[in-house]
Amino acid sequence: MSCLIVQSDKTLLLEVDHELADECRRAIAPFAELERAPEHIHTYRITPLGLWNARAAGHDAEQVVDSLVKFSRYPVPHALLVDVAETMARYGRLTLSKHPAHGLVLSTTDRPVLEEILRSKKVAPLVGARLDPDTVVVHPSERGQIKQVLLKLGWPAEDLAGYVDGEAHPIELAQNGWKLRPYQEQAVEGFWHGGSGVVVLPCGAGKTLVGAGAMAQAKATTLILVTNTVSARQWKHELVKRTSLTEDEIGEYSGTRKEIRPVTIATYQVLTTKRKGVYSHLELFDSRDWGLIVYDEVHLLPAPVFKFTADLQARRRLGLTATLVREDGRESDVFSLIGPKRFDAPWKEIEAQGYIAPADCVEVRVNLTDSERLAYATAEPEEKYRYCATTATKRKVTEALVAKHKGQQTLVIGQYIDQLDELGEHLGAPVIKGETTNAQREKLFDAFRQGEISVLVVSKVANFSIDLPEATVAIQVSGTFGSRQEEAQRLGRVLRPKADGHEARFYSVVARDTIDQDFAAHRQRFLAEQGYAYRIVDADEFL
Amino acid sequence: MSTDGPAAAPRTLAEDLRARGDDALSALLRARPDLLNPVPNDLSQLATRAGTRASVVRALERLDRFTLQSAEALAVAPDGAPYDALAALMGPEAAGALPGAVAVLRAQALLWGGDDRLRLVRTARDILAPAAGSPSPTGLGPTVAEATSGMSPTRLQQILAVLGLPPTHDPVSAVGSVTALFADRPRMAALLEGAPPEAGAVLRRLTWGPPYGEVADVSVPPPPVAWLLERGLLLPAGARNVVLPREVALHLRDGRAHRAPEPVAPDVAPAVHDPQVVDRTAAGQAFTAVRTVEELLKHWETGGPTVLRAGGLSVRDLKRVATSLDVPEPLAAFWLEVAYAAGLVAADGEVDEAYAPTPAADGWLSLPTEDRWAVLVTAWLAATRVPGVVGTRDVKGRAMAALGPDLDRSLAPEVRRRTLELLAALPEGASADQDALLARLRWERPLRGGAAMDPLRADLVRWTVTEAELLGITGRGALSAHGRALLRRSGDAAAVLLGPLLPEPLDHVLLQADLTAVAPGPLQPHLAETLHVLADVESKGGATVFRFTQGSVRRALDAGRTAADLHAFLAAHSRTPVPQPLSYLVDDVARRHGRLRVGAASAYVRCDDDALLSELLADRRAVGLGLRRLAPTVLAAQSDPATLLERLRALGHAPAAESAEGDVLITRADARRTPPRSAPVPVVDGPPIPDGTLLGAAVKAIRAGDRASTAVRREPADRPGGNGDGRLPRTAAAETLATMQAAVLTGESVWIGYVNAEGAASQRVIGPMRVEGGFVTAYDHTADEVRTFALHRITGVAELADDLA
Repeated sequence: MSCLIVQSDKTLLLEVDHELADECRRAIAPFAELERAPEHIHTYRITPLGLWNARAAGHDAEQVVDSLVKFSRYPVPHALLVDVAETMARYGRLTLSKHPAHGLVLSTTDRPVLEEILRSKKVAPLVGARLDPDTVVVHPSERGQIKQVLLKLGWPAEDLAGYVDGEAHPIELAQNGWKLRPYQEQAVEGFWHGGSGVVVLPCGAGKTLVGAGAMAQAKATTLILVTNTVSARQWKHELVKRTSLTEDEIGEYSGTRKEIRPVTIATYQVLTTKRKGVYSHLELFDSRDWGLIVYDEVHLLPAPVFKFTADLQARRRLGLTATLVREDGRESDVFSLIGPKRFDAPWKEIEAQGYIAPADCVEVRVNLTDSERLAYATAEPEEKYRYCATTATKRKVTEALVAKHKGQQTLVIGQYIDQLDELGEHLGAPVIKGETTNAQREKLFDAFRQGEISVLVVSKVANFSIDLPEATVAIQVSGTFGSRQEEAQRLGRVLRPKADGHEARFYSVVARDTIDQDFAAHRQRFLAEQGYAYRIVDADEFL
Repeated sequence: MSTDGPAAAPRTLAEDLRARGDDALSALLRARPDLLNPVPNDLSQLATRAGTRASVVRALERLDRFTLQSAEALAVAPDGAPYDALAALMGPEAAGALPGAVAVLRAQALLWGGDDRLRLVRTARDILAPAAGSPSPTGLGPTVAEATSGMSPTRLQQILAVLGLPPTHDPVSAVGSVTALFADRPRMAALLEGAPPEAGAVLRRLTWGPPYGEVADVSVPPPPVAWLLERGLLLPAGARNVVLPREVALHLRDGRAHRAPEPVAPDVAPAVHDPQVVDRTAAGQAFTAVRTVEELLKHWETGGPTVLRAGGLSVRDLKRVATSLDVPEPLAAFWLEVAYAAGLVAADGEVDEAYAPTPAADGWLSLPTEDRWAVLVTAWLAATRVPGVVGTRDVKGRAMAALGPDLDRSLAPEVRRRTLELLAALPEGASADQDALLARLRWERPLRGGAAMDPLRADLVRWTVTEAELLGITGRGALSAHGRALLRRSGDAAAVLLGPLLPEPLDHVLLQADLTAVAPGPLQPHLAETLHVLADVESKGGATVFRFTQGSVRRALDAGRTAADLHAFLAAHSRTPVPQPLSYLVDDVARRHGRLRVGAASAYVRCDDDALLSELLADRRAVGLGLRRLAPTVLAAQSDPATLLERLRALGHAPAAESAEGDVLITRADARRTPPRSAPVPVVDGPPIPDGTLLGAAVKAIRAGDRASTAVRREPADRPGGNGDGRLPRTAAAETLATMQAAVLTGESVWIGYVNAEGAASQRVIGPMRVEGGFVTAYDHTADEVRTFALHRITGVAELADDLA
């Protein structure tokens, strides 16, 4: 009995407790996406993107078929094997390469394919003259566009046109008293070997260091794109601490400051700001001869940045994220514009290695009072979630939870400002929200880090990239409906390893029998699929 | 076979058969079972029947290509040709296979007589020999004798003369000498030697057939053709065609009947796989096949789609089946047809005819998997229905519906079995190319079904190969061990072999915290059944992934399970501890399940005094009302409100009725009203009474008429005594005009006599308003309107009496 079951819908079920499971995982990981990783059986899915990722990484169809046949418990449906081979054969029929005379060319090993794609209306404006039956000129500025379009047509092009080195700038990792963790090194290597691509690591697993590692490899000027100013400061702080870079070499390009230095950290927001209908900060991309571009939190990459990225195909691009799940389903754009996935590691695996803290996830079900139930039933549909997510009963339970974990660093996270204000008032804790100034935010974060404050109430502005090493308890009172990546980010807040090895706790306070509960189920399914089993507890236990 | 020498040579097929042994006769009857129906009385009758056209055609259709080629060669040879002549016709490469082919023809009673005198059954000869309408597959034309029949003796004489043969007046001997010349190789070679090159080219073109060539006009042929025609090397066939006589063609072909005799069947090259892999793959697919049909039955459990009026399943329903089985439509059609062929689904024959599983399906479902498979494949193997044609259009352009009529193809079972037999003939684990299989089948039965059937045969081979794979008879294109057993022995024997290869049904699942259950293999039926109710299937294949949702758990509770049952079930069948969120989900759904209750009642009784309701419930006379207490102050009743009120009153109570809004209805019955209606119009005898206006107008009209008839006219002076009663006034035209003009000026009315266009005369009183153009426009008092009168029609005019003016 082997450990893998190949399903007809192209999912692979891997029994994790099986003795061959590790070997099998290594064999299938290059081409199958880990979809769910609950405790006993992990589900992988074979997708065209995954198969092309594998091709990009140098695996061929025979290897894939062999792994499937070797590890499968039951005979693998023949049709599936044929499909795998056919899908993989589509990659690399078209290649983008440099031509000494014509710049960028698209060439093919299979003429009919080229004919087929040239007939497409979407391809026509992107290509120039036909050099010979198998080669056509591509406008260098359309390198990203054509890759995107070809992927949509099902004929992904292999990009062999290479990268410009960019302006050299010495960067070294300052590994004094710390080292890159093995998986971080693998990630850096995987990225550098592939040239461009995405590294998927759980929150708290040290993605910033992977970025720093990549910069040390590139030894070139680097543009780092991050989600917000706080995150930009943290990158800067971390880079100064971990690399040979000094404060002066790192510039911040944000709403308040417009510094362009050898290493520049810019926020998505400033890049996507339009003035008089035009993106006025685009010159940043051309202001220096960047050798590397790092995209933090790729899953949040706003659509305009995709567009700019299409023009940057000659530069090395590193995407960092905790999850490739995009609520807008633009995973294929990430693949074609930033690059294929170069490395990923399941959360649980890194947790098992002790790099992130284990977490105890608890959903606390709150019974609404009769009058609240009546009010909920009669609320306008668009107000329902807000109403049930902010009921007074929830506040009482939250207070009880905070009291229960008195003395531990606790974050209360929510969506609605008035709810948070009220909670802050009742808990006597400071509230960080959109209108809080950056200076104030950093001051509060510092105080929290130092242990001067033990409870902090944060709105969704703190969802991303804030680093609160000693938060042991997170209490989520309301969220952006059923957003899965928000849940992942929030859990990430408490997953950093704790100095005392204390188990992290993640509470979601949920109103019973309301859509709050349905949204919570959606989010928790994601957590459970990541291997974080959760418990459901009645609020009465805490009151 | 009779080889006793010329003395014992049989004179008829019957004699030949009589000389054969019993084994040979039974072999004949086995090969041609149609001869046995009905059992012939004696060998003469058998021989006669074996010579009938239908039977011979049937036998010929079942010959392989080489045997058929041999028969064709015999058909072009003179009747009773010796074996050596046949061997010469077939050429040296066929020498090895020829005795076998002759033996087959003989065994099938298509050929009789000894080797010195091979006699093809006359009917077979007629069918195979070239005739004007049906060119032979050999490409040979008619003999000289046949082609010259009907030719004028003079023309024959000319040919004899040109060929340098002795002249004769007897056409038969003339033809004989020409034939002899053509069959004589050296003389013929010499003759052709002298042919102009163009003539040689014409001959070469016709040599391998078709033997007919077209010319503009046979009487004035182009020179090379003329040269050939003169010598009888070509003979005219109709006004515009020439034909190459058989003897000439044979000479040109070096005496060969076929350009390419095919003594050996085309090879089916095997591609070898590991037999174990083949068996496992096939078994896996066999399992899937059984499960797919099972799933189909389950979908139709509570009634399937309706039958189209023309029979079969609508395209939309087929789509639906395809979606539910998660397969493309052609595949869905295949599974439907398999289930139908196995008698598991059928139309129910009701008025609104619909498909549903048959009672046999229940029996089938209770069988072990391998036996279920055996039922499916046995039915498939013998079926004449061909799922592959579903969706294609018939001759009338109608799309063929799955499960519909016209899907039967009699060729199907034969091709299907033969294709698999070819695979079975390969070494174990060997697969073969479809084209090779098709080429082989074409060789084996070249005539079967005729040329029109050939594309169908190609399709059937293709479908057989894919369908056998789908059913798990083959794996990776190679026949599995159980597939072999199915072909060589029976479905049951195959099932025995298949059984151990099938995955063992499991009695457990793995439950996970993301609310899924994974069954890492097929489940025992009862377990699968419960899980299908309790959870939704998310992924199928070797394993099944189930997902628990609020809806699925509620479904289980609706199906009569309790939360405790479910907990026990999960605990018993989970190999791992039941995850807390799952138990919580079950409890949470159970907590809410059935909190709201719905039922039907016809009326209710409510009363603030629950003692009174208790009294009512306790009253034996109220039993018939179907009262049930819903709450302390509410009873539900099964009788309607009116009855209830009446009965309660009879019991001495004083109930009040309530409207839907809860208002008390007044005891008086609710007055019923029609929608707005107008009252009926009375039907009176005679006309209705007129109103004032009408009356006024009428009076006025009457009056006017009256005035006209009774007016006291001033008598003109020259007409004394005339009172004008009944007579038209008569005045001279000039006087009339003058009077009119005067009347216009004075505004007086005058009395006139008037003759209308029809010539009818009348008297009128008019008030002239205008006189012009020969017309008087005037107010006509009689008609009460303004009219125009032509002056010339006015017979006369008179002034009215003063009092009336």
